Amino acid sequence: MGFAGKKKNKITKPLLWFVLIAVAVIQIFPLVWLVDFSLASSTEMFTNGLLVIPEKIQWGNYAKAFADGNFLLYLKNSILINGLAVVLVILVSIMAAFACRRMRWKLSGFVKTLLLMGMMIPIHATLLPNYKIYSQLGLTDTVWALLIPYVAFSLPQGLFLMTSFMESIPVELEEAAVMDGCGIYRIIFQIITPMLKSSIATVAIMTFLNNWNEFMMASTYLSSEKWKTLPFSVLEFTGEYSSNYAVQFAVMALTAAPAVIVYIILNKHITKGAAMGAVKG
Amino acid sequence: MKRRILSILLTAAMAVTLLAGCGSDGNKDEGKSESADGKVTLKVFSNLPDRKNGQGLVEQMIIDEYMKENENVNIEVEALDEEAYKTKFKAYSMEGMPDVVSIWGQPSFLDEVLEAGVLAELDESDYSDYGFISGSLEGFKKDGKLYGLPRNTDVAAFYYNEKMFKDNKWEVPATYDELLDLAKTIKDAGIIPLAMDGGDGWPMAVYLSDILYKLAGSDYASIVSEAVSSGDFTNENFVKATELLKKTADAGLFQNGYDSQDYGTAQNLFTNGQAAMFYMGSWEASMALNEDIPEEVRTNIRMFTMPVIDGGKGTAADIAAWNGGGYGVSANSEVKEEAIKFLNYMYQKDKLSKYGWENGVGMSAQDQTEYMTGDETELQMQFVDAVNDAASVSGTPVNDCGPSSFKTSIESQIQNVSNGSISVEDFLATIGKECK
Repeated sequence: MGFAGKKKNKITKPLLWFVLIAVAVIQIFPLVWLVDFSLASSTEMFTNGLLVIPEKIQWGNYAKAFADGNFLLYLKNSILINGLAVVLVILVSIMAAFACRRMRWKLSGFVKTLLLMGMMIPIHATLLPNYKIYSQLGLTDTVWALLIPYVAFSLPQGLFLMTSFMESIPVELEEAAVMDGCGIYRIIFQIITPMLKSSIATVAIMTFLNNWNEFMMASTYLSSEKWKTLPFSVLEFTGEYSSNYAVQFAVMALTAAPAVIVYIILNKHITKGAAMGAVKG
Repeated sequence: MKRRILSILLTAAMAVTLLAGCGSDGNKDEGKSESADGKVTLKVFSNLPDRKNGQGLVEQMIIDEYMKENENVNIEVEALDEEAYKTKFKAYSMEGMPDVVSIWGQPSFLDEVLEAGVLAELDESDYSDYGFISGSLEGFKKDGKLYGLPRNTDVAAFYYNEKMFKDNKWEVPATYDELLDLAKTIKDAGIIPLAMDGGDGWPMAVYLSDILYKLAGSDYASIVSEAVSSGDFTNENFVKATELLKKTADAGLFQNGYDSQDYGTAQNLFTNGQAAMFYMGSWEASMALNEDIPEEVRTNIRMFTMPVIDGGKGTAADIAAWNGGGYGVSANSEVKEEAIKFLNYMYQKDKLSKYGWENGVGMSAQDQTEYMTGDETELQMQFVDAVNDAASVSGTPVNDCGPSSFKTSIESQIQNVSNGSISVEDFLATIGKECK
């Protein structure tokens, strides 16, 4: 048995490595490609090869992206809006998950289903009605015009993940806490929340990545520069028929960078959470 | 129980303060459009997001000049590109349309907009001395009333690399059969005959319209409008034109994978010297001035229009040209008079038309002979001559003649019929269905 297992290991391990490396290359290549083309000139863009070797590295593309693309203002807006959205989604989804899973009240099941139904509503269907509502409330072109839909559309997913994670936390823990005289808010924020770390990381990444590149709602609900987000930066270099591709690539590379960084930071928690769950069974 | 009531009260209070805070913001904005000291804010909604090159630069130059000359006027520009522009235009038609907006003088766009009644009527007699080319205002009219002004005259053309043609002793084709023969010759020489932007759909629809115009001649407009209103595209000219398009693709005139390659890809095949020809509108005449393009190619770009087709009614002097984009004024604008004043300013002969010409962004819809400097590129002059010598022009391409769902349908199906995925009959039936 031991022998067979070892032999199997010898074959499967390199195979596993091979598959994993292949997947990694496929995943990372677009990023490499993006950075590569962002350093080339517009005319070098369309060669036959997969990658170009720029004749002269065009740092100017990045300089242009910063100067003409309103990059810093849009970056600030993007970080602010996405940061707030992530915090709000996590806060509300933890509280809602606790209320629907752990507290006993008549409509708990119904409210949970109602909130989860939000997942089925396509964003495009809500675009124009929401515009009308915002415009009548005077919310268009304010930070709320983006914050409200971003939170609303990310909430069902967050709630879904939080409730399923919460189920794996033993109720006895809460009972013990209550016995020691713990109030409801302390139970949620001091007992439950620390145990939800990995699901909080997952929800944060999903919310952040979903909203980071969102453009449809942003372009409809905003009109002045004040709250525009990063995807608008790409637009500044879009001509009527053809565009300045090289600078657009530079803008996209700069736009992708924070998302990649956030992913790398939080990624550890996701894998950790998954691994821990697997061992504990 | 007490606690619950308290929390509900708190939540309600929070919500109210939030809304109140934003509400006052909104009011401030509204108040801005005409404040006490006679300051006027004009909102311009444009489809030209790049304000530092091409047409967007021209538009911004005029706006800056206008603000300098009229110090009480402040112009705010909001710009989005085509798809996002049209979506937001829909949102704006429900509420809060900006004062001056980009529009298209084509049924696929204008019909729905006019039905919603969001555009202000303009007085046509005001524009008698603006030098608009005859017929260029037609697309912007409904029931004899004028709702907008055209910005450009667009001509569909085959750009070709003259040096490449001379070196290889290729001739500019005079008939469509010669074009197909030429395609084979060029292909045998290991060069792509013609770079086609098939990924976007509309350039191929323009190509189809071009063929159709050469086939049907002066009947083109009536055939198209009849087909669009009845949804019946079985007219023999449609069948012939579509079959010819398929035959052209089969003959290998377009590059491999043309049906999925986009504008930039196709154009770069041509500007890198990998393709001998490029089918596109006259706005690309600025290629001759674009320093990004290698000099060897840039200085040798010339153009010809669609060659005549055997048995077709259109002659070489009947060219595919139309007036597409332009501007209109919102009907509900609080500063309508100021908006119209600005619109008229843009269309003064020495503004849009002249600046556009000097920046090589194509031909305007106005008479441009006054601004010829003699420094025009040969390519620019070829277009001017083509328009001046034209016996007639086609008007709006087929894809923009129907409702917007028809436009979507024809632009997404045309590659399928040219590459043989669907039959000609199915194609015509499918696009017809969207008109009913």
